[in-house]
Amino acid sequence: MRSAVLPGIFQAVSGNALRDNPGRLVLALLGIALGVALGLAMHLVNTSALNEFNLAVRSLSGEADLVIRGPRGGFDETVYPRIARLPQVRAASPAIEIEAQLAGRKDALTITGIDPLRAAQVQPELLAGPENRITDLFDPDVLFLSHTAAAWLGLKVGDKLRVNVGTSSVELKIAGLLSPGAYRQRLAVMDIASAQWRLQQLGRINRIDVRLRPGSDAQAVQRELAQWLPAGVHATTPDAESGRSTGMSRAYRLNLDMLALVALFTGAFLVFSTQVLATLRRRTHFAMLRAIGLTRPALTCLLLGEGALIGALGSTLGVALGYALAGVVLEKFGTDLGAGYFRALAPVLHADARTLAAFWLLGIAFAIAGTAIPAVEAGRRAPALALKAGDEEQGLKNWRTAWPGMVMVSGGLVLTQAPAVSGLPLFGYAAVALILLGAVLLMPWLAAAVLRRLPALRYPPAMLAIAQLQATPRQAAICIAAVVTSFSLTVAMLIMVGSFRQSLDAWLTTMLPADLYLRAARAGETGFLTPEQQARIASAPGIGHAEFLRSRNLLLDPVRPPVTLLARPIDAASARSILPLLGPELAPHADEPPAAWISEVAGELFGFKPGDRISLPLDGQQHVFTVAGIWRDYARQNGAIVIDRALYMRITGDGLANDAALRLAEGATPDRVAQALLARLGSPDGIEIATTGKIRDASLSTFDRTFAVTYALEIIAVLIGLFGVSASFGAQALARRREFGMLRHIGITRFEIGIMLGCEGMLVSSLGIACGLAIGWLVSLVLIHVINRQSFHWSMNMDVPWLPLVALAVLLITAASATAVWSGRRAMSGDVVGAVREDW
Amino acid sequence: MLTIRNLNKSYAGTRGGGVLRDVNLELARGEYVAIMGESGVGKSTLLNMIAGLDLPDSGGITLDDTAITTLDDTARTLLRRDRMGFVFQAFHLLPHLTVAQNVALPLALIGAAPALRAKRAGEILEAVGIAALARSYPRELSGGEMQLAAIARALVHRPQLLLADEPTGNLDAVSARHVLDLLRDQVKHNASAGILVTHSAAAAATADRVCVLTAGGLRALPQS
Amino acid sequence: MRRRALAWLAAALATPQSLAQDAAYRSPLTPFAKVMPGYTLRFPHDEGSHPEFRTEWWYVTGWLQRAAKPLGFQITFFRTRPEIKGDNPSAFTPEHVLIAHAAISDPAWGKLQHAQHAARAGFSLAGAGRGRVDVWIDDWSLRQQNGIYHARIPARDFQLDMTLTATQPPLLQGTNGLSRKGPRAESASYYYSLPQLKAEGTLTRGGKPAPVTGTAWLDHEWSSSYMDQEATGWDWIGINLADGGALMAFRMRNKQNGKLWAGGALRDRQGNSRSFAPGEVVFTPHRKWQSPQTGTVYPVSWTVKAGSLDIEIEPMMDDQENDARFSTGTVYWEGAIRAVQHGKTIGRGYLELTGYWRPMRF
Repeated sequence: MRSAVLPGIFQAVSGNALRDNPGRLVLALLGIALGVALGLAMHLVNTSALNEFNLAVRSLSGEADLVIRGPRGGFDETVYPRIARLPQVRAASPAIEIEAQLAGRKDALTITGIDPLRAAQVQPELLAGPENRITDLFDPDVLFLSHTAAAWLGLKVGDKLRVNVGTSSVELKIAGLLSPGAYRQRLAVMDIASAQWRLQQLGRINRIDVRLRPGSDAQAVQRELAQWLPAGVHATTPDAESGRSTGMSRAYRLNLDMLALVALFTGAFLVFSTQVLATLRRRTHFAMLRAIGLTRPALTCLLLGEGALIGALGSTLGVALGYALAGVVLEKFGTDLGAGYFRALAPVLHADARTLAAFWLLGIAFAIAGTAIPAVEAGRRAPALALKAGDEEQGLKNWRTAWPGMVMVSGGLVLTQAPAVSGLPLFGYAAVALILLGAVLLMPWLAAAVLRRLPALRYPPAMLAIAQLQATPRQAAICIAAVVTSFSLTVAMLIMVGSFRQSLDAWLTTMLPADLYLRAARAGETGFLTPEQQARIASAPGIGHAEFLRSRNLLLDPVRPPVTLLARPIDAASARSILPLLGPELAPHADEPPAAWISEVAGELFGFKPGDRISLPLDGQQHVFTVAGIWRDYARQNGAIVIDRALYMRITGDGLANDAALRLAEGATPDRVAQALLARLGSPDGIEIATTGKIRDASLSTFDRTFAVTYALEIIAVLIGLFGVSASFGAQALARRREFGMLRHIGITRFEIGIMLGCEGMLVSSLGIACGLAIGWLVSLVLIHVINRQSFHWSMNMDVPWLPLVALAVLLITAASATAVWSGRRAMSGDVVGAVREDW
Repeated sequence: MLTIRNLNKSYAGTRGGGVLRDVNLELARGEYVAIMGESGVGKSTLLNMIAGLDLPDSGGITLDDTAITTLDDTARTLLRRDRMGFVFQAFHLLPHLTVAQNVALPLALIGAAPALRAKRAGEILEAVGIAALARSYPRELSGGEMQLAAIARALVHRPQLLLADEPTGNLDAVSARHVLDLLRDQVKHNASAGILVTHSAAAAATADRVCVLTAGGLRALPQS
Repeated sequence: MRRRALAWLAAALATPQSLAQDAAYRSPLTPFAKVMPGYTLRFPHDEGSHPEFRTEWWYVTGWLQRAAKPLGFQITFFRTRPEIKGDNPSAFTPEHVLIAHAAISDPAWGKLQHAQHAARAGFSLAGAGRGRVDVWIDDWSLRQQNGIYHARIPARDFQLDMTLTATQPPLLQGTNGLSRKGPRAESASYYYSLPQLKAEGTLTRGGKPAPVTGTAWLDHEWSSSYMDQEATGWDWIGINLADGGALMAFRMRNKQNGKLWAGGALRDRQGNSRSFAPGEVVFTPHRKWQSPQTGTVYPVSWTVKAGSLDIEIEPMMDDQENDARFSTGTVYWEGAIRAVQHGKTIGRGYLELTGYWRPMRF
């Protein structure tokens, strides 16, 4: 075919079809656009987060070759001169990083106390900026804020900022801003001496950034340091450091990425279904073109070209939409979509042309792929056969075997047994993908099998509907598959989130047995209760019993985030009533090391099992404990370890406490007691008192906020599914215009045609929803027991939220039926009566 | 039985539209009339109005004392369902139903019992001569066979009025002849009335009388 | 005297900006000792640190020969005591901050090679000891042991390791070591010099060590308030005369770029020394050189009249500018010069020119 002829032929093949049927074009475009937009938005949000995170870690450790890090509580500052004097060390920059709770706010701000002169040798960017004089920091009452922190707090240079320390507060003046390029996280910088003094960390540092002399071997130095650094203090490379930090959120991000891919998949499926139906509808048209001399490859190519065109348009729209969406998401939710992983980061949307181009091409590829099967099939079909009415269904004849779908679903089930790959449940996701894909492939067979068994009804519209479906099971299957893909995902997410919420609720009940909870500085590490304050709380009127809890961070492994050590009154006998223990417990014998109860997460991360001996660095010394039980903990994603507080105080001499759990005396009311306590402590600023109910509500609302984005994705998936239904019914209805015209002629009312289409929609969507429920349930099992387990290391009890599921199913069936009727109505608009006289 | 009085209608057609002016027609039971006319003159529009698928701008259509033009759409549809049969140029059999199911469809619509449906469908297929094809699907039939099936469908519920719109337009001469004869026989046999719209003089010749539709109205062609 | 450009940093360190703006304070500020007439300098005791004073510096300059080619070098250690409120018990409290600066002038190189290092005193990583010259920042140090001064500057671009041996007793500047810097009596410092030091050591550049020898000059000065508010910059020379004598002269410039104050001292080859009154010292610029880097114009050649002595000053090379905008935020010229009389070189030393880029502010 000469190129000059091509446009004319293309016009003949596609042009009119697109113009005459803009609804289909719009649907196909939207399918691709939505898929690309979601995929791109998720990707951009994630890479922006990752970039920020890496940038943050990099600029914090600057050009350091090694980072020496201890527990958040810090280690003895005399380690610093020893490090600085090592012959291999060119420069050492000591720091104390503190999460300080902001007075009058719920948030904490990371304050890094540094020696600016030392930092300049290791982290030259730290105080870069012409307007800053590092010496301003020598004033003990000032700090520098990052631009992000200043914007977040709404403060400017010269303003004051109050942070809670212990149960009192300290006022600091903002003497300058850090250079905007170097720091995007919420961060404040103080002089290390001021930070130690003002924030009550005298004698402690928790980090040393080290630059080595040229020619020094970082690993050799690491090994040398391991010999004498205090227990719990480790030297790592900044790479490991950034890996550790991003590892925390990696699983969460992968979750979102996968959801986005599912959306893209659903979008591609939508394109596929509209293209299949559109191609089918034009079979006679193509047959005519073939008959007058268009070659088979040319027809196939032209159809693929049509798919590419739709893909290009949809992709362009999708890329624009995705970019905008990412911007909105970053603006509204932050890089982690509200999950709290990147709390201190202020993200900047980061999109390079390559990424955008890649997603654009991906959209086109999906569109072409969606067109490929029908295009090849249209080319292959003998023109004479295609000219006959009823041939559409024959065009789909090739897809009726069940075994490819069966193989895929079984393959998926087998994959669920595979372990995580470097902390990520990759096989779990592959399993979900295979199950979904297999389910789609099973649909033609399943639809035929089910529809065949439908009873014949006497009511003509219903009878016609059933006859139509029975005769076209594979066309129905496309529609069913659209529902299955979107609904199964939604069901799976609903079950998973519902189970999680239910388990969280039950967990909260166990974890919050007291009436009132008192906390010194809800956020951050600067808040605590002194022994004297503890005594005052315990003896306050209205308090029946007070229990105090000390929490600290322990660095067990330098490449993992620190675990939380919780010291609270506990013994082997009472453990089960205090902690939501899972599985067996055991009480250590008198001659064994004392008991420690570890959270599920810690157990999985560090491979601890009941009965194991574990060594915990407390105050620079290793202390051995016996694992007495594993408990479920949803609060601390990096793991937690509970030991008895009396024992903790004996070992460390640390009598401070962070939280108090208070049981009220008979007749005391929570509000009155809370008031009295605040008055008694005299400094309400750093103290927060909440009733169990309030904490519970806050926790659950945080949970709901975190999962809001998944709800949004579910809604989008459902919408895409409905689009699919609409597209498929719209295409079929258009193809059946003459049929409708004839039915009107022989005395069927518009209403009855509506009923007929409604019946078809209901049957198809019911079937889709039934399959979606089954597949969704299967996928939810994978989500709960494989993906969640491997990503976050916590278990949950399966709890199917029947009511919402049934409600959603009814809603969807109604919507799908209405969509079918609506599509039919649209098809019947105009001169449907005249359609009987249309030839082709 | 069918009375059309002073019918006026302006319509938009595929060839630019036109006007039906002052159309009058009286059709008795058992009478089979052909309406001829040039393309675009409004034959199909007239047929649609008789069938109650379209309404005139003025004038009346009465079928056995029922003034079709005064009924609402649903009532007209029910009237059509009960008392009319339609034959189309392009057959319009439902591709997913067998010939027998297609034929029985009007009976199903009027709520006939399944047994009765099967019996009537069998009879009428026998009558049109394609009983052997009862279980076939439309795509397996030739054009002539499809139109025979369509005629069977149009007559299965013994309508009072049979409306045929260019029923032989898609058929070869032999099939056309057969279909025309059958149509006439069935109209006569069922004692109903029939209107055959055609632009073929040969087809029109099979009717009892022939009318020609022109811009000026419907006038009878003198019988040869 | 050696106010020296780095003194600017010292001044900055001494008064945190925000401190100056905040009026009310809980705790008293750091009290500083004052320069009082009548103090008698004792050696080697006064060669050590005087931590009760706000700022102090040890400043070595000199001419070296390396493979028969001349080089200039400069090594400075500053101690400054920031004005801190409160008494922070933290071991990191910056009670003193130490800053070291070193530069090599090599005509073959065409401009200065310099390096600097700073740290707060503490943890024995940086400090200034009493009783003898003993000042260090990590492995940078200037120490006196057994009467011999030892400077070690292991910078990134060059490494200087050198011993300095005194050949003459200290030259007390001003009145018995009390040097006036301005019209007001409180603008003063304790100041003595060690001219004609015999320098020997190794200069390593590009990884290649090379022996160097030469003659150097050490200044040691300490004060709590030496700068006059009117001063915008200064010109200073310190010259080891070829006949064994030594000349120091300086001029403080006012806002009109005229003489605000001047002073100096001359020791002849017999060891007799005399101080100059402000009126006896006249700096007259001749040739100017404009820095291609900063655009600053410096008078790099001069006529200096001190008492009856009239000498021409000619630089070893024109570009001996220190561009420290990105560290201490200032730009100044400091480099090796020859003293010429009747066309004959009669001495070698160092010239410092400040306040030509922008007025020095305090």
